[in-house]
Amino acid sequence: MENLLEVKNLAVSFKTFFGEVEAVRNISFSVKDSQTVAIVGESGCGKSVTANSIMQLLPMPPAFFKGGEIWFEGENLLKKTDKEMQKIRGNKMSMIFQDPMTSLNPTIRVGKQIVEGLIHHHGISKQEAEEKALEMLRLVSVPQPEKRIKQYPHEFSGGMRQRVMIALAMVSDPKLIIADEPTTALDVTVQAQILELMREIQKERGMSIILITHDLGIVAEMSDKVVVMYAGQIIEEGNTKEIFENTKHPYTAKLLKSVPRLDMDKNEPLHSIEGTPPDLYIPPLGCPFYDRCDKAMKICKDNMPDEENHSPTHKSRCWLNHPLAKDQERRSS
Amino acid sequence: MEPLISVRNLKKYFDVGEGMLKAVDGISFDIYPGETFGLVGESGCGKSTAGRTIIRLYDPTDGELIFNGKNIYDLSRKEMQEVRKNFQMIFQDPYASLNPRMTVEEIVGEPFDIHDIYKDKKEKKKRIMELLQLVGLSDEHAMRFPHEFSGGQRQRIGIARSLALNPKFIVCDEPISALDVSIQAQVVNLLKELQEKLGLTYLFIAHDLSMVRYISDRVGVMYLGQMMELADSEELYENPIHPYTRALLSAIPIPDPEIQKDRKRIVLQGDVPSPINPKEACRFVDRCPYAIEICHKQVPEFREVKPKHFAACHRALEI
Repeated sequence: MENLLEVKNLAVSFKTFFGEVEAVRNISFSVKDSQTVAIVGESGCGKSVTANSIMQLLPMPPAFFKGGEIWFEGENLLKKTDKEMQKIRGNKMSMIFQDPMTSLNPTIRVGKQIVEGLIHHHGISKQEAEEKALEMLRLVSVPQPEKRIKQYPHEFSGGMRQRVMIALAMVSDPKLIIADEPTTALDVTVQAQILELMREIQKERGMSIILITHDLGIVAEMSDKVVVMYAGQIIEEGNTKEIFENTKHPYTAKLLKSVPRLDMDKNEPLHSIEGTPPDLYIPPLGCPFYDRCDKAMKICKDNMPDEENHSPTHKSRCWLNHPLAKDQERRSS
Repeated sequence: MEPLISVRNLKKYFDVGEGMLKAVDGISFDIYPGETFGLVGESGCGKSTAGRTIIRLYDPTDGELIFNGKNIYDLSRKEMQEVRKNFQMIFQDPYASLNPRMTVEEIVGEPFDIHDIYKDKKEKKKRIMELLQLVGLSDEHAMRFPHEFSGGQRQRIGIARSLALNPKFIVCDEPISALDVSIQAQVVNLLKELQEKLGLTYLFIAHDLSMVRYISDRVGVMYLGQMMELADSEELYENPIHPYTRALLSAIPIPDPEIQKDRKRIVLQGDVPSPINPKEACRFVDRCPYAIEICHKQVPEFREVKPKHFAACHRALEI
């Protein structure tokens, strides 16, 4: 399988009044054809900045690329002009946003919103556009599409709006869809509908998905590969089974333990991660998880560990991987 | 055991012009001292309205709330103020529920001023510091403002404030849904710890069913203003009776790829219907795969189907 997307050493910062915030710090990962890659992490870990960098939707300034490359279908997106990017965005790659309430234009009928991009990119006729919009609404199982196509977003429920968002993202038959917390604003039963829909469409059309979420249940259900981010860095990466069953990084392990599961014993205490992630104005020299890690050693404080491969697909960045780790003095507190 | 509070046929309607929005439409249940009662359901099911009406932040349309043998809805404003010390609330959004212009000390101490508890300033301050320590904050936080804190810490401030008057009963309205997973666990552990230490009783409102199972002794499931099912939490999660509860439980993604692969899930069709002028039928009928004729004609009675396991379904136990 070919790599559809390859992010190499991407670094993104924001200029603010107080100084530079290093939101994404040298990350590399790839997405293959028809693969679903989940990016997980807490708020502020840089997962949305990563997604928006790929789409180049970040406001510049304050944001700026400090370095790196984003290869998509053999081309480096960071070398593209705004005009060239416009041809790719919403065409070969598109995005599903978290909040379907605010990401649709309330003053334009949904039918028109769905085909707006197509008209812009390919100049199709009004009639063709209408047919295409109908086809898309059918694809995402919106009932009575003939009637719905003429309605405005406020006439749709949250779940239906998210379906419209998916239709909008799918209309140009993209190779890559970036879904940024696509179901966070929805109820569980509606979430189940939307996830099922996304899976079906993927089976039918074969696009790749980058799924950004903090819900590990959704990750287990949807993804082939998982990228765990913390404080702007990738600290562990592997296929879904490896991440859940052969967890290597203490942060990933803690993250997995901090969510209660339906099948867990109620008397078992919930593992919380004490403290908060570091401030990215002055990112720590060493491992960013040092302050919150109960396995931390002296070396972790000032030295960032290198990437260690556990299998061809599984890697992590933690000093515990080091062969000498067992001899090191463990930090007592 | 005597229940701490008994909710009897509680109703809360809102007049929205085009009709009556029946946010809460006749729910009844007891909450026992020292327990955590979980209330779950999807957005718009009336769980938050129920929580707010129970402690009389909203005046009910109908129904009773028995506390200490008295119906608190009959009390005058003045009598209510005295009783209200026993009831507190922890809100969902730690960003919106703390006054940004007050220091932490002022926020946590405000209940004392309202109820005129301390004459002596030193004593008041001492008590505030005690409260801060109780929730895992320290003296140095007292003079700061809410914007200087993270979400989890703000929620701790909200909890300290709610504990100020030694309440018996606390309504926790989605206290963790605005927080990151790693922080959620901190707050939940704190709530559990405080319950043990202070003998608190919680009404825990949430839409995160795995968290509710974890924290609650008994759980009630609401749908469109009515209670669909109520049981001990283990029982409810293991043997759900109502088709809605079953669908709800099967919709939760489990963070384990092995389990997830073989799982059969019930995907409900359609959306939650409007709570404005609902028809006289089972509220769930349009989305229920088991609906028969009677379900379209009659509201099912909320009855004890098995010992201590209540459900409102015409076809309970046969499906």
